[in-house]
Amino acid sequence: MSSDKKFLDVSHVSKNAAPMPEELAIRIEELSISYKVSLEAKRTLKNAVMRASLRQEARVRSIDAIKKLSLDVPHGSVLGIVGSNGAGKSTLMRCIAGILSPTEGRVTVNGKISTLLALGVGFNPALSGRDNIILGGLASGLTKEEIESKTDEIAEFAALPDGFIDLPVRTYSSGMYGRLSFSVAVSMTPDILLLDEALSAGDAAFKEKSFERMRQLCAEARTILIVSHALATVTDLCDTAIWMHKGSLLSKGKPEEIVDQYLKFLNVGSLPSNYEDM
Amino acid sequence: MPTNQDFVPKIQVFEPHRASLPPLIPYIKEFWKRRTFAIELARFSDKAEYLDSRLGKVWLVLNPLLLGMVYYLVVTIIRGGHKGTGLTTLDHLLIGLFTFYFAQNCVTAGAQSITMGGRLILNQAFPRALLPFATAIQAFQQFVPTIPVYIFILVTGKYFYPATQVPGWTFNFLWIPFILVCVALTGFGLALVFATLNVYFRDTNKLLTYITRIWMYLSPVLWLPETLHGMGRLLLYVNPLGPALTATSDVWISGKGPHGLIIFGCLFWAIASIGIGGYFFISRERDFAIRI
Repeated sequence: MSSDKKFLDVSHVSKNAAPMPEELAIRIEELSISYKVSLEAKRTLKNAVMRASLRQEARVRSIDAIKKLSLDVPHGSVLGIVGSNGAGKSTLMRCIAGILSPTEGRVTVNGKISTLLALGVGFNPALSGRDNIILGGLASGLTKEEIESKTDEIAEFAALPDGFIDLPVRTYSSGMYGRLSFSVAVSMTPDILLLDEALSAGDAAFKEKSFERMRQLCAEARTILIVSHALATVTDLCDTAIWMHKGSLLSKGKPEEIVDQYLKFLNVGSLPSNYEDM
Repeated sequence: MPTNQDFVPKIQVFEPHRASLPPLIPYIKEFWKRRTFAIELARFSDKAEYLDSRLGKVWLVLNPLLLGMVYYLVVTIIRGGHKGTGLTTLDHLLIGLFTFYFAQNCVTAGAQSITMGGRLILNQAFPRALLPFATAIQAFQQFVPTIPVYIFILVTGKYFYPATQVPGWTFNFLWIPFILVCVALTGFGLALVFATLNVYFRDTNKLLTYITRIWMYLSPVLWLPETLHGMGRLLLYVNPLGPALTATSDVWISGKGPHGLIIFGCLFWAIASIGIGGYFFISRERDFAIRI
């Protein structure tokens, strides 16, 4: 069988990585992430010295956050990730963003990434919204000129009330705070956008505006990964979904099917309320 | 509208690091590329810190100045007066304190930079050393206004107390940028060590309060380097700021260039701090997102 697939040579970035099909935005190969967490109530130097003097070992627990996960995400797709708390969804997103390193396996990313994995990124509550947009943009890797040219556009998208953009962020409501974070993330015109529960920010009107912006990003062949407990978001926006459980990929398919499987697993039925926040 | 630049493919491969350090050349390149972020973070943090204060940035000068006056009174009382040296002791004390505070601010603020930057660390991939670097820049920005104040005190002190030792114009002042770079590098390197420790042990910062206090008493700030003799002078060299503060006193008070051994000491501590601090920090920074 002949194949017209074109491959990207990634040997200049990693000697061990095989060429990646050009149509892929993200390739995850046999990814495992484990880490150790301390079981002590307080991690202090005092406790460490006491322990050392008593020749006791630190009480730690090993967590396997991701187990042998493999996944290909093509350019222009919107992938929803569902799963219960502790499934490894946020860990996976952070690994794709390069924030966490794999313990085993490999993640290859082809494109500029923008992330919204925690609200209020780079935000100093004492500074104005305008100052925070500049900080947030610079933290995302934009140049000062790029971010300054986008400040008004970001403020407009966040739909802040008149004059609020020049007020300290500590005076903002939580909705305004979330909208500003989201606006900074989507303004980067990223190739790959990673969102973790970011769409819970704002009211119904802003949510619709956010959906519209994401559809626009998809039309521009951008790739979006969404982690959400709001299953309606996954079925409305995504073209593919995966279900993660205890660090493993349980299934991948159409969002409706994955959500159905997930709801059956949770044994909560498919009442409309279950689609709001699971 | 997206620009062409937005579509330039950027391939990144994330793999387990075989060695404890990530590849250093890409790390340093990325660090340099993102330096504007550190500079702006320092500028905005500085702005935010004094936004609600009526006297604003005046405190930057007032704080060490008042502290200098207090120490001067204590030192003068212990010594039983000026002893014919005019305000030389005060000048030594002030320039020593200003320089010491510069290093101390690098270390104490830098130590908290990672634990305070939690959301940023959880959300963005960037060389984490940029956060303590930003606090080092902020410490430098806060140090700069103290220099004209010091020069003003030096000149007016000479006018009212002619016995005050004031160096004339000399090429030895060219040593000042060298000394400041060494102080900054030493402070930044130590900040990297304490920032890492603070991630693992959250009481590090409390301990740091006592460490810096003892550090100041062991540094030639409240006492002159010349008071040490023989083996006692070792104290100047085992203290990371000892050589730099001795050189500061030499140039600013006597107008003479630092001794070769002092120059070597400045360089040694700057390089050792950056080397050890950099290794300790970078080899553990992948852990920060988990530990925070």
